[in-house]
Amino acid sequence: MTQSKLYKLRKNPLTDKISCISRDDGNDRFTIIPINESNTDYQEYLAWVAEGNTAEEAD
Amino acid sequence: MSKISLKHSGGKVVSLNSPTTEPNENDVAFKLPNADGSDGQAIVTDGSGNLSFGSVAATRNLIINGAMQVAQRGTSSTGNLYQTIDRIRTSSGNLGSINLTQSQQQLASSDTPYSSGFRYFYRAALSGAGTVNANGYIGISQRLEAQDIAQSGWNYTSASSNITLQFWFRCSTNQTFYGILETSNGTPYSYPFAFTASGNNAWTKITKTIPGNSNLQFDLNADRGLKVGFTPWYGTDYTGSKTADAWSPYSGSAEYPDYASTWLTAGASTFDITGVQLEVGSVATDFEHRSFAQELNLCTRYFQKLQPTTVGGANDNPIAVMANFTTTHAYGRIPFFNGIMRTGPSLTTSGCSYYANTNSYTGLTFAVGGQSESSMEVNVTASSGNWVTGHAGWIRGGSFELSAEL
Repeated sequence: MTQSKLYKLRKNPLTDKISCISRDDGNDRFTIIPINESNTDYQEYLAWVAEGNTAEEAD
Repeated sequence: MSKISLKHSGGKVVSLNSPTTEPNENDVAFKLPNADGSDGQAIVTDGSGNLSFGSVAATRNLIINGAMQVAQRGTSSTGNLYQTIDRIRTSSGNLGSINLTQSQQQLASSDTPYSSGFRYFYRAALSGAGTVNANGYIGISQRLEAQDIAQSGWNYTSASSNITLQFWFRCSTNQTFYGILETSNGTPYSYPFAFTASGNNAWTKITKTIPGNSNLQFDLNADRGLKVGFTPWYGTDYTGSKTADAWSPYSGSAEYPDYASTWLTAGASTFDITGVQLEVGSVATDFEHRSFAQELNLCTRYFQKLQPTTVGGANDNPIAVMANFTTTHAYGRIPFFNGIMRTGPSLTTSGCSYYANTNSYTGLTFAVGGQSESSMEVNVTASSGNWVTGHAGWIRGGSFELSAEL
């Protein structure tokens, strides 16, 4: 089963382009993950996508 | 006691003396080097009595925060992965209806490592007896950068070149546990080894010397190169036909030989570690104690916590200063991190508000624009606002956490 609530794409308001991914960690904690292949949070996001999941679209 | 005396022409004597106490077991023989060393070098031993001139490394310990003294995130958590002691990663799951708490604990003066200069230890504690599930796991580890192993001085492709691990260990219910060295570059290889305490609740110093292997590879980059792991429990989905004390290709379905479940099922079990040191060579030298500031600086390459000001009566507690770009959007920059981080970090926000034009706004959305290993552009957006373009505001309260962990 795929999930779509954990991750959400985020745009840079200045450029209106996707610049990062947010992850809701609960308890009012949000992690903003850069699109950076050496960042292990981004690596986990890519693995999550590879499992068939899809992030929520950016506003 | 016997001695070798060298008499100066003036009459005074310089002598080499046998030790005050007799050698413990065998005779001790030292073999001198056959050539002089370089300026500033010292005579070192290979642990077998063969002396040579060599450089004594200023920092021997490849493990960061091995004395468990830095805990920027907090001192206790039931969460997974990096939650308490810096650089220590705890991974657990499928243990039944119990929790695992990872924590930083203080040693009592009666604890054996205390007299060696340690004051803290890491603890993994179960809330009750765990369930033996094939897919259950508890792993404690530190992940090291590939470039740091590549340039450590360990001739890791040679079976005659060694690296030595030492740590203090205590557990509430004793059994055979396993630790591991696991590589990431090229074909991943792993070297599991068994360890056990001298008894229940008895601090025991473990030392393990591990040879190189022609199949090992460590690239010259800041990505993960080596994992040093300590494992309280692995289910049979991850254990099986694996030989300890030997390098072999890594297998996720057989990382270790099968585990006993004595510790897991005993009740509210504890698993304690401190004094972790990994060093090049065949000998476990004395632990390299570093100051808190030195250890913290090493940790901030992987994690930093930016907290609001708490001193001086600054009632607005700013974390970051921003500039309003529209009525609901502002952007700013964390211009300098506390040192260069391993890679562009993730930003975790918690409990922050934005103060602009005499009002405080919550329910914010953050985004990261451009970033590097040393700075980051931060964007903040509110669902509604009356921010004046060009005016300044600031993020206040809560915290910003920067993570570039491995």
